Amino acid sequence: MGSLSLRLVSSRDQEEQEVVVEEKSSSFVRILTLNRPKQLNALSLQMICRLWDLFLAYEQDPNVKIVILKGKGRAFCAGGDVASVVRDINQGKWRSGAEFFRKEYMLNFVMATYRKPQVSILNGIVMGGGAGASIHGRFRVATENSVFAMPETALGLFPDVGASYYLSRLPGFFGEYVGLTGTRLDGAEMLACGLATHFVPSARLSMLEAALCKVNSTDPAIISAIIDEYSQQPNIKERSAYRRLDVIDRCFSRRTVEDILYSLEREVIDKEDEWISATIESLKKASPTSLKISLRSIREGRLQGVGQCLVREYRMVYHVLQGEVSKDFSEGCRAILIDKDKKPKWEPSNLELISDSMVDMYFSKVNDEEFEDLKLPARSNLPVSAIAKL
Amino acid sequence: MNRAIQRTQILTGHLLSSSPSQSSPLSQKPCLNYSPPELTENYEFDLGEMRKLLDGHNLEDRDWLFGLMLQSPLFNPRERGGKVFVLPDYNQSMEQQREMTLKRIQYLAERGVFTGWLTSRGIESELRMLAFIDVLAIFDHSLFLKLVVHFLGWGSAIKFSGTKIHHDKWLRDTENYVIKGCFAMSELGHGSNVRGIETVTTYDPKREEFVISTPCESGQKYWIGGAANHATHTVVFSQLNINGSNQGVHAFIAQIRDAGNLCPNIRIADCGHKIGLNGVDNGRIWFDNVRIPRENLLNSVADVTPDGKYLSAIKDPDQRFAAFLAPLTSGRVTIASCAVYQSKIGLAIAIRYSLTRRAFSVTPNGPEVLLLDYPSHQRRLLPLLAKTYAMSFAANYLKMIYVKRTPESNKTIHVVSCAFKAVLTWHNTRTLQECREACGGQGLKTENRVGHLKAEYDVQSTLEGDNNVLMQQVSKALLAQYIAARKRNKPFQGLGLEHMNRPCPVIPSQLTSSVLRCSQLQTNAFCLRERDLLNRFAAEVSQHQTKGENKENAFLLSYQLAEDLGRAFSDRSIFQTFIEAEETVCDLPLKNVLGLLRSMYVLICMEEDVAFLRYGYLSTNNAAAVRKEVTKLCSELRPHALGLVSSLGIPDAFLSPIAFNWVDANSWSSVKN
Repeated sequence: MGSLSLRLVSSRDQEEQEVVVEEKSSSFVRILTLNRPKQLNALSLQMICRLWDLFLAYEQDPNVKIVILKGKGRAFCAGGDVASVVRDINQGKWRSGAEFFRKEYMLNFVMATYRKPQVSILNGIVMGGGAGASIHGRFRVATENSVFAMPETALGLFPDVGASYYLSRLPGFFGEYVGLTGTRLDGAEMLACGLATHFVPSARLSMLEAALCKVNSTDPAIISAIIDEYSQQPNIKERSAYRRLDVIDRCFSRRTVEDILYSLEREVIDKEDEWISATIESLKKASPTSLKISLRSIREGRLQGVGQCLVREYRMVYHVLQGEVSKDFSEGCRAILIDKDKKPKWEPSNLELISDSMVDMYFSKVNDEEFEDLKLPARSNLPVSAIAKL
Repeated sequence: MNRAIQRTQILTGHLLSSSPSQSSPLSQKPCLNYSPPELTENYEFDLGEMRKLLDGHNLEDRDWLFGLMLQSPLFNPRERGGKVFVLPDYNQSMEQQREMTLKRIQYLAERGVFTGWLTSRGIESELRMLAFIDVLAIFDHSLFLKLVVHFLGWGSAIKFSGTKIHHDKWLRDTENYVIKGCFAMSELGHGSNVRGIETVTTYDPKREEFVISTPCESGQKYWIGGAANHATHTVVFSQLNINGSNQGVHAFIAQIRDAGNLCPNIRIADCGHKIGLNGVDNGRIWFDNVRIPRENLLNSVADVTPDGKYLSAIKDPDQRFAAFLAPLTSGRVTIASCAVYQSKIGLAIAIRYSLTRRAFSVTPNGPEVLLLDYPSHQRRLLPLLAKTYAMSFAANYLKMIYVKRTPESNKTIHVVSCAFKAVLTWHNTRTLQECREACGGQGLKTENRVGHLKAEYDVQSTLEGDNNVLMQQVSKALLAQYIAARKRNKPFQGLGLEHMNRPCPVIPSQLTSSVLRCSQLQTNAFCLRERDLLNRFAAEVSQHQTKGENKENAFLLSYQLAEDLGRAFSDRSIFQTFIEAEETVCDLPLKNVLGLLRSMYVLICMEEDVAFLRYGYLSTNNAAAVRKEVTKLCSELRPHALGLVSSLGIPDAFLSPIAFNWVDANSWSSVKN
């Protein structure tokens, strides 16, 4: 999610090319390029369906050993195309919005449990749904151009696409920090915290691709060794959040959002700290409801398999779309994506107004006859790394 | 119809997935693959709803604390088979384990886990504390016990037996773990019989001080958790001697360490290495005329004036004594609840293993059979699972009556906590043994938890009251109720004995499957047994008395009926909590599986307790019908097995490698790493 554009897709032909497939002769590698550069490659429903078909087909195809996923232009993928979802909600057709998320999460699950290595080249923006389409895969190659974020709390949503699985497994309480504040990480930080598996300078990407195209194996060790040859150990910048893990652990490990904010504020009582103040600022700007459900989602996700995470997130997103407790998602999209006034009016407007039972609602069974829990696709013959995620 | 189609699909899925697929790179290897049960088993009820019912309260808080442990290197995370597990390193020396336990507590204190444990009042904060204690025990029994001693021993003594002056002085520092308290009650010569302790305290009016002394070796304080290394303060239980007259057992506060050094006139020795719980520094304390200020008497029920006069609002020394023992109730509540969680860990591991481990084929060249598809293996594990579910509801009930306690309910809480603590911990000991055996050799490895937990939790059957002694107290209390009702010719009231007022239930001579699964029959069977045993017990005691035995002795001589009665009371009380929990559920699939578990619980109790045959509550034919029904219930519960252990509220990381990909966890590549 987190698309920055509202432009309509004009023709069927263009849809076909939203994901470009490259198949080099006598190669066991398929290169898929997300191709909506003007929309920063935001995932449309059509793209998700196309990726779904391709991934399932490649899994069965003995002539495919590696799937490379990358984006055209300055983004890998800026998110799911929520513009269309918001349009649906505003027309009262929020159920078709739910359909978008259902398909997207199913794709996330297939990627998380994929039998063959997926190599994602993250040479640019990786946000929301873009993270969901890459982080679950076996290899994530960051570059000096990578910009990662899960910005959902600023939009009235929550880090979805299985983020409650992968954010919660970052070191210490870094996942809570990334998920609640929506902070941006660069390639070096992605590598350091484990969101990326490798860092390759963008100038070497074409060589890396060529080398991968020569591989005739699904063995992760072999593939990892090849990427290693082009990798670098990047320096973490002086003012990186990753150098503040002690503060992050101290504050973001707290039980509630209120406690987290309180502990951050206490850190700056007697000494100024720009980074902490900015962190407090971003929390205060976010939707209070989003913060509360996001924190609980990450905490639950830490103890759940990736499938359970996605099933739960689907329930949550359905509740968000239903808008029973809060309509912050529509409001967030209005303020950030449509009117672009960047001044969302959150409702409930502050943390104290959100009771535990309101938060519980988002995690409860959906009371809607047309609702069905996310049915995860059947998987078999999984590799060890995928079994461990169940 | 839908169900039939679904089942066909599942079976088809089984058949298809077991045939070797050409595209699988592993299919050429003549080696076993680990197949995750999640891919083949299915869930017919909502796991989250079931977990809610079992955990009962504060689920979000529990998850937070699990995460807090999972994300810190202090909790010794290790990767096995691609998953991370947290477990203390039990291969460390006793001293190292103690240091780690202390560091973990300090970490949890810094993160605010203990906030409000002593300084807040009210049901909400007590329930949260109880939830946290469950979770801490799931990680490690030493961590649990060191905290229970500090908060529920030392802390509760100050909170409940102390007054404002003590609260103001100690509670905040105790909650923040600045002061580390221990609870010096038991002695070398006296454990369950607290009234017989030998430590004696006198009062010196000249200096307005109490003087505590250990008069002889058997009066040394023994097993005092926290005393050997870390505790700075202790509550001392001691006889109070005022002007030569003994006022009975009272509780005092004494400082035992200052800046790491022992205080004057205190001698402490280590209890040494134990079969488990080596992360707790149990010690022995001798008091050599230790002087403490007069204010250090915990004076909520009795006080000594500066000039040495003894005052007490409670005149009856029995009641006074009971007031000092109040902290023990909270200990029993937590021990009972934690015992159930340990059974859950054992069963989740053993059942998950039995859903992935195969042995022997039943047809020539056929595939080997999953352990849990053997009816005998089902019979070993699934009744224990049903009992664990029942006891889960029982523990929740106990917690609820505890946090809602009133002066009127104290007696019920005492009796129920004694009964449940005994029965739930005995069940845990037995369950862990069965689970260890069900895992075969893998159960021996410490990293697999089940075997090691046996030693870690063995103490639970004598801790905070020997189970046998507790059960005697239960039957004694029941007898007292009986005598009171009969003497005054009044109906029974309390402890669930109201069924005694109704006509005696009749068990049909022919027990069919549907009758056996009916909750009315189940209620009748349990009530009939309890009623008859109570009548018999009362008759036998009175018979002994007419022969000239005193009341105590008559009671002791009737111990066999007392034991049978204690069990009958416990089973019936647990059953009632199950019924009550079931009644809160509307969701049909959930209700169905709970019905199976409840029937399994009742029928296995009936099968196991010979009293049903001995006293003729069941005919031999009916006993055979019960036994047959247990087997049938096993096969009906089998399809739910994964769902049932996945709802137990134990995160994967707190189980063990054999519960997951045990092939990869034991691969050569894992050796090299």
